[in-house]
Amino acid sequence: MDWRQWFYHIMNMFNVLIVAYFFLANGIYTFLMILSLVSVWLHNRRLTYQGLDELRESVVTPPATIIMPAWNEQEIIVQSVSSILKTDYPNLEVVVVDDGSTDETLVRLVNAFRLVEMDLIYRPRLPTRPVRGFYMNPRIPNLLVISKDNGGKPDALNVGINTCRTPYFCTLDSDCLLERDALLRLMQPIIRSPQNTVASGGIVRILNGCEVKDGQVVKVGLPPGRVERFQVVEYLRSFLFGRTGWNLLGGTLIVSGAFAVFHRETVIDAGGFKHDTVTEDMDLIVQIHHWAIHKRRKIKMNFTSDPVCWTECPASLANLSKQRRRWQMGLFQTLWKYSEMLFNRKYGVIGMLSYPFQLYIEGFGAAVEFLGYFMVPMALMLGIVPPTLFVLFVVLGLAYGSFLSVGAVLLEELTYRRYPSFRDLSTLLGYAVIENIGYRQVVLYYRFQGLVRFLTGFRSWEKVVHVGATE
Amino acid sequence: MPFLIEHITEVVLSIVVIVLLGTGALVAMALGRRQRRERYFERLDDLRQRFGPIVAALLSRKIEYERGLEALKGITGIDRLYFLEQLLLEKTPTVAQVPVARQLSEDLGLVKVWQSHLSGKFDIASLHDALARPEGILQRVGRLNFILKAKSAENLGVIRHQPSWPLLAKALTDPHPDVQSVAARALAAIGETESFPALLARLHDILIHPSSTLSLRSIKSALVSFPLKEAPRLMLSLQHEHPRVRFMAVDIIREMVEREAALNEDFVLDASIFGPELGEVLLTHCCFDDNGDVRARAAPIISYLSDVRATPVLLTLLDDPQWFVRLHAVRALAKRKFMSQSEQISQRLTDSHWLVREAAAQTLLVFGRTGVGQLATHLLNTQDRYSREQIADEMQRTGLIPTLLTQYATSTDKRETQVLGQLADLGKTSYMLATLISSSDRTLRKKFLTDFGSHPDPKISAWVRKIATLEPDTEIRSLAIKMIGKSMDETEA
Repeated sequence: MDWRQWFYHIMNMFNVLIVAYFFLANGIYTFLMILSLVSVWLHNRRLTYQGLDELRESVVTPPATIIMPAWNEQEIIVQSVSSILKTDYPNLEVVVVDDGSTDETLVRLVNAFRLVEMDLIYRPRLPTRPVRGFYMNPRIPNLLVISKDNGGKPDALNVGINTCRTPYFCTLDSDCLLERDALLRLMQPIIRSPQNTVASGGIVRILNGCEVKDGQVVKVGLPPGRVERFQVVEYLRSFLFGRTGWNLLGGTLIVSGAFAVFHRETVIDAGGFKHDTVTEDMDLIVQIHHWAIHKRRKIKMNFTSDPVCWTECPASLANLSKQRRRWQMGLFQTLWKYSEMLFNRKYGVIGMLSYPFQLYIEGFGAAVEFLGYFMVPMALMLGIVPPTLFVLFVVLGLAYGSFLSVGAVLLEELTYRRYPSFRDLSTLLGYAVIENIGYRQVVLYYRFQGLVRFLTGFRSWEKVVHVGATE
Repeated sequence: MPFLIEHITEVVLSIVVIVLLGTGALVAMALGRRQRRERYFERLDDLRQRFGPIVAALLSRKIEYERGLEALKGITGIDRLYFLEQLLLEKTPTVAQVPVARQLSEDLGLVKVWQSHLSGKFDIASLHDALARPEGILQRVGRLNFILKAKSAENLGVIRHQPSWPLLAKALTDPHPDVQSVAARALAAIGETESFPALLARLHDILIHPSSTLSLRSIKSALVSFPLKEAPRLMLSLQHEHPRVRFMAVDIIREMVEREAALNEDFVLDASIFGPELGEVLLTHCCFDDNGDVRARAAPIISYLSDVRATPVLLTLLDDPQWFVRLHAVRALAKRKFMSQSEQISQRLTDSHWLVREAAAQTLLVFGRTGVGQLATHLLNTQDRYSREQIADEMQRTGLIPTLLTQYATSTDKRETQVLGQLADLGKTSYMLATLISSSDRTLRKKFLTDFGSHPDPKISAWVRKIATLEPDTEIRSLAIKMIGKSMDETEA
């Protein structure tokens, strides 16, 4: 075989790979969508008798701590902390960990809450960078601010875990606003489940475009920017049918660290948040699964779609690129670290389904799809693929993407209907249809960059700048 | 037949058409759904507007019951019962409103429907009905009936419908965990004495067969809600051979007791509330149980008993080999009536487990000045660094430092000076200095500078240096300069 034949052979192989990826990925997504439609609809119906009042007043509702790591968040930190202090939960403690900010994050907290520095005892069950000081106001005994040397978000979270005194803790990003009863709703599956539920994740929705008053979202609206609007659709797809579907199959591998509850002792036993990946939340979940199998512990992880946390999404492509590169790089780092789980029957659904899905569809799939945008046209030019088929395949790709995105918007409409105006719904449907023309390819490019960075050993965390919600 | 490229094209084309049609269908469904929901909310809003004030007036007994009832009977339509339920139970009725809400639910035929649903009897809706009524699908599809069952149980609990308790007790063994869980909650809300054994039996079942679909917390929460007078029914559970049953029984009693105690500061458990046998079992069995958890959870209950043996038993538990038993015992003693035991409690300030040390410090603080004095004495006399650190920790967390400094400024007693000195030696000076910086008390600053201005603590030294350069009060500034000189002399020496 000469080089031309080799080239043609490779091109053919790649085209087969692309087609296989397309049908496999979309088949799985469609399956997840159908599962989620049923599951979320049912869950929504079950909310009518969830008994939140009873949960709030019950003595058996376990106390919980919200741990909020913050690094250079001077613009939003006071608003965020004020908001979480109003969380409707019995026996709530709040620990804010200032991860060596170089701006006024700590000063603003001290001034806003009249905190005083105290020399408290620090018992590091998880190793961390040194703690500089503790700040408290004896009149707000449930708020503790800790200042520490910069060590990254996982390190800040570990400091929070070391000082946490309650059996459960909730991680919350400093750019997030919690709905008042979100923590209660998030704890509900833990309290009501007969199984040992060690992690519970809620839905993260986009704050941009919403009206905020006293640290609470009072009117939900769509953001003005196109990049943000596309992300609204993306988040709905990711949370409402991606995570719900996997949760139903018992294969939760990702719980958003922006808003999730964990069982403290389980996390400590599993080794806490690690510094060797840039997506510490996914890393912890995989690590807990790994730990549970090795220690023969029966655990459960849960995703619930009604506890809502509002987060500020990147409004510019520059910030979006940082976020998506990090997510993709973190995905590979985590999967690489726990590669023994791949197709390992010991790990059940996680090893046989979730892990391969994350690796081949979410991970390598991005590379295959990205390269496909170059290889398939090349195959067309070389006459390997007939033009009609090429056009049809492109149309199919775009149409299927729209189908899934519209499905996510429908799911939202069937259940929570957070976007009240008819205009918002129509706009969302419109964005769901056109998301695959342009936006998807841009995100794909960032994800491909993430893979390249993983392969080249790039490790640093790219900070996404938050401007804070306007009251 | 060979598979030609034309065939592939045809297949792909078909898929494209199907996907496009599917997308269109989803868009139409979303828009249709929105329109339908808007119609639903329009109807609900209309009913709220027309009948909401009547329901509110009925619940607050502002209008004649019969008149209000007749008005509500005016709601018609296929979805009448659903909307009546919405109007009546939209907001959970208060305790005072419950009797009217219950009567209305009975007279409007809602209770009958809920009871019928809970016992598994459903009118199988026709497909047309199922689509027209808000809850039609749930009736039509057998596997979804559990939602209506659970909702019915919830409603019967909300209106505290006492005659429905046997149905709810039966629902505790329903195949669906949602129904079990809501039934337990409803039984707790109704509080019918006769239902307590059914809940208890379910608790035993969960503890002995951990594969149960009902969570332990749900059933425990229900049992805890019952009045304390039901506690003697847990007697057999307290003596059960299974340690988890004993533990859960004692923990349920503890929760019941602490709930009552929270309402009454001088709460005491005497035989009239508790029965003599239960107190006896707690004092003679539970606090000597093989299981540490049982001993630990018995301590808080014992602390409320009006029995002369209670205090000695608690003091015995203070020396238990298990740290968590000691922890619960120390916490149980955090009542002013145990002030005379402060000496024994302060011994736990040197406990090997930090949580016990912390609890001991917190317990002593409950005793007010006496406790603070005990803590100060311990701080000054102990050689145990961990114990000193723990006391310093609690003093800061509870905001005692400003009070200590105020007392230090005005008192001639050396004790406050010694305590501050001890805190400075431990390096616990941040709060002290923050208080001094924000204080305008000249005497306090002068006294502190004189006594501690040359202390080697780096934070104090930095503060003194700052005073020496920035303080506008010349007397204090020169005092600070003098203390810097003294500090240097001491360092050289």
